[in-house]
Amino acid sequence: MVGIVSYGTYIPVYRIKLADVASAWEKDPQEVVHSLGIEEKAVPGTDEDAVTIALEAAFNSLTAFRGKPTDIDALFVGSESHPYAVNPTSTIVGELLGVGHNYLAADMEFACKAGSAGMQAIAGLISAGQVHHGMAIGADTARSKPHDELEYTSAAAGAAYLMGAKQLIAKLLAYTSYSSDTPDFWRRDGIRYPSHAGRFTGEPGYFAHVVGAGTRLLTTSHMKPEDFDYCVFHMPNGKFPRDVARRLGFSKEQLSTSLTVDHIGNPYSASSMLGLAAVLDIAKPGEKIFMASYGSGAGSDAFAWETTSLLPRVQKIRERCQELVTQEILKKQYVNYVEYLKKTHKI
Amino acid sequence: MKVYITGAATTKFGELWATSPRRLAGEAVGGALKDAGIGIRRVDALFVGNMLSGMLGGQEHLGAFFAEELGITAPAFKIEGACASGGLALHNAVNSVLSGQYDTVVVLGVEKMTDHKPEDVAIALMGAGSEEERVSGVTFPGLYAILARAHMREYGTTREQLAAVAVKNHYHASLNPNAQFHTTVTIEQVVRSSRIADPLRLLDCSPISDGAAALVITSKKLGVQILASSVATDTLGLAQRKSLTELKATQEAVKKAYTLAGVKPKDIDVAEVHDCFTIAEILAMEDLGFFAKGKAAGAIAAGETKLGASGHLVVNPSGGLKGCGHPVGATGVKQIVELVDQLRGRAGARQIKGAKIGLAHNVGGSGATAVVHILKK
Amino acid sequence: MSEAVEQPPWYIFSKNNMNSPVKIWRNQKYIATMLGREGNIVSWTIIRVPPAGFSNLAPYPVVIVDLVGGERITAQLVDWREEDLTEGRRVKVVVRRIREPTTEGVIPYGVKVKPV
Repeated sequence: MVGIVSYGTYIPVYRIKLADVASAWEKDPQEVVHSLGIEEKAVPGTDEDAVTIALEAAFNSLTAFRGKPTDIDALFVGSESHPYAVNPTSTIVGELLGVGHNYLAADMEFACKAGSAGMQAIAGLISAGQVHHGMAIGADTARSKPHDELEYTSAAAGAAYLMGAKQLIAKLLAYTSYSSDTPDFWRRDGIRYPSHAGRFTGEPGYFAHVVGAGTRLLTTSHMKPEDFDYCVFHMPNGKFPRDVARRLGFSKEQLSTSLTVDHIGNPYSASSMLGLAAVLDIAKPGEKIFMASYGSGAGSDAFAWETTSLLPRVQKIRERCQELVTQEILKKQYVNYVEYLKKTHKI
Repeated sequence: MKVYITGAATTKFGELWATSPRRLAGEAVGGALKDAGIGIRRVDALFVGNMLSGMLGGQEHLGAFFAEELGITAPAFKIEGACASGGLALHNAVNSVLSGQYDTVVVLGVEKMTDHKPEDVAIALMGAGSEEERVSGVTFPGLYAILARAHMREYGTTREQLAAVAVKNHYHASLNPNAQFHTTVTIEQVVRSSRIADPLRLLDCSPISDGAAALVITSKKLGVQILASSVATDTLGLAQRKSLTELKATQEAVKKAYTLAGVKPKDIDVAEVHDCFTIAEILAMEDLGFFAKGKAAGAIAAGETKLGASGHLVVNPSGGLKGCGHPVGATGVKQIVELVDQLRGRAGARQIKGAKIGLAHNVGGSGATAVVHILKK
Repeated sequence: MSEAVEQPPWYIFSKNNMNSPVKIWRNQKYIATMLGREGNIVSWTIIRVPPAGFSNLAPYPVVIVDLVGGERITAQLVDWREEDLTEGRRVKVVVRRIREPTTEGVIPYGVKVKPV
């Protein structure tokens, strides 16, 4: 059996209200907030990047881990804002975490599902017995062109999952993935901002793949939506996850805990992984969690988790260290649009 | 000690756009040699004090550089100790004469800082601090601001008392034709000048300057005698010091100097101290033994160390680093030139009547090096 | 893609000092041992006129911190508010970009502190 041994999250402290972004472009703040379903988003500090965010989430994931950093045999970091085109984020994180030299490091890229792809790859390595403990991290300082729609939702955060075969706080019951070549959102090498195909990112993009992976997971695992206590989806805005949950047969109650997007926006590769953490922070032992990420280009990774009696101990430690997702969401300092432009290196 | 200063001269200090380091050196050394009444051929060795020639100008090997400029092939050395480079160059020159290896040597302190943008100069100056300090993005005003905050917290030193140092030194500088600044300033102006590193403001900080100063040092009993030349070091970084309210390197260096010279603080008539920032003069007054801890700021603000005041000791009659300017490698040498002028009665409007014993205090970095010289008429 | 900064005119410093890949590599162990350590602020200043390379971060506080375990360090304070600048304020070590890298150079990461 493969699963999660411990996990860590990190959300930068800065926030900007969507209304302030809208006002800068003379759009109607109410209309924007209503259509996206988000109030504010997380903004990285000027000196933060995917490396520093991944490192902080990873460091936090070790707080509750009973082993040592050198027990980590694999470390994958998924992001769309790796600081280098060539030079791995994963080894910088591994070195500064004290993982040693005896591990497999790799950087993943698949738009917003780079982190969850890492989770599936590590699950495979663990099942094969090749790796005892592997860490999968999703971290991003998401980019968007000023005045583009993405400017309202692109955020920053990180989530790290230490996976293994023993001492699991959540078991991985089943997982699957659904992929196609669907150019809904992309960024060329050397180009600063991503581009997207507008409404094409909806049905043929997000919905086709999340529903595709989600349906396949339910079928192959012989499970129904009612069997789950919680569901988590990639959250590009406040509307899509609510819509896809309904389409797959999940209820508002099953979805609500995971909706970190409402408070911090879309941190790309960390989105569904952070949503999962928000659920794990409050779930009871023996509860089932359905999770499906989405990465443009396109694909969706779906997972079925079941929590164990070892989870409460990790929850208590995270709470004591003020590292619960809800606690991190509340650690905030507002910035105005000019400060936002400075922190995201646009001016 | 059998070592004497027979020639002393400085150039003007300031933003000398049209003057190259070569010209600066030629002017200062030429002036010192003329003062000593000797020609360049009599010079046995050349000691150059400078900090930034490499980092800013791309030129190291300054001993050979200036020897060539002066037209000599005598032994020549660059001595570097951040802002104490000048004082250290003199210290090494003194030792070379005391050793008997050289008889007549020239000390040249020279610095060219205005060829580059202030932010580039600021980062180059951080070469005087620790790596940890460079990583933090702190500047020299920032380091001394931390010292100021600690002193204000410990002894109740006030914002206005810091400003009083700048007011005094600008007044002295207004009487010094070679000083960078000739305008006087008020406490109000200092306190309201733009913020640099809280709590220090623009007028708490010595400027970026160009300039050179030179001395002729000899074993022959002519001119002003050097009674002591002492050096001490402390940790590079502020965080590694034992205290944030004193500079132990100053205390150690001056203790050795007083012993060597056989004098006490009360015997000093005139002092040129290292006021790179206003707080630095306050610290110096205490560390050099002129005032008890916590008492210097009030005394300076009351005008006790000002030209023409009731107090016995006048501090920084040249205008100090704040008023006269601070071309870093030149400062330590200029301080000696000022003392020589005072002791020889040729300081003009700045003359302190009957000055017999002078003390120069030159610091590198935030106190990692301190050099003290004591001179006698 | 990293954001470029104009290279200062003096080659030696910018190329070989803060952004030397070998120096960065040698410093990794130090950074790894510092990560997560906590301490209390002893004194501080706010840098309003930054040196070259730090302009995008200014104004920023630089603090002296007494770490648990005995050492005292100087570090930049991040994620700060005015009220965090008090004696005894608890902080912890984090890793951040020291300053913006040059267009083609290695990215320098280093030790900073943030309020806990």
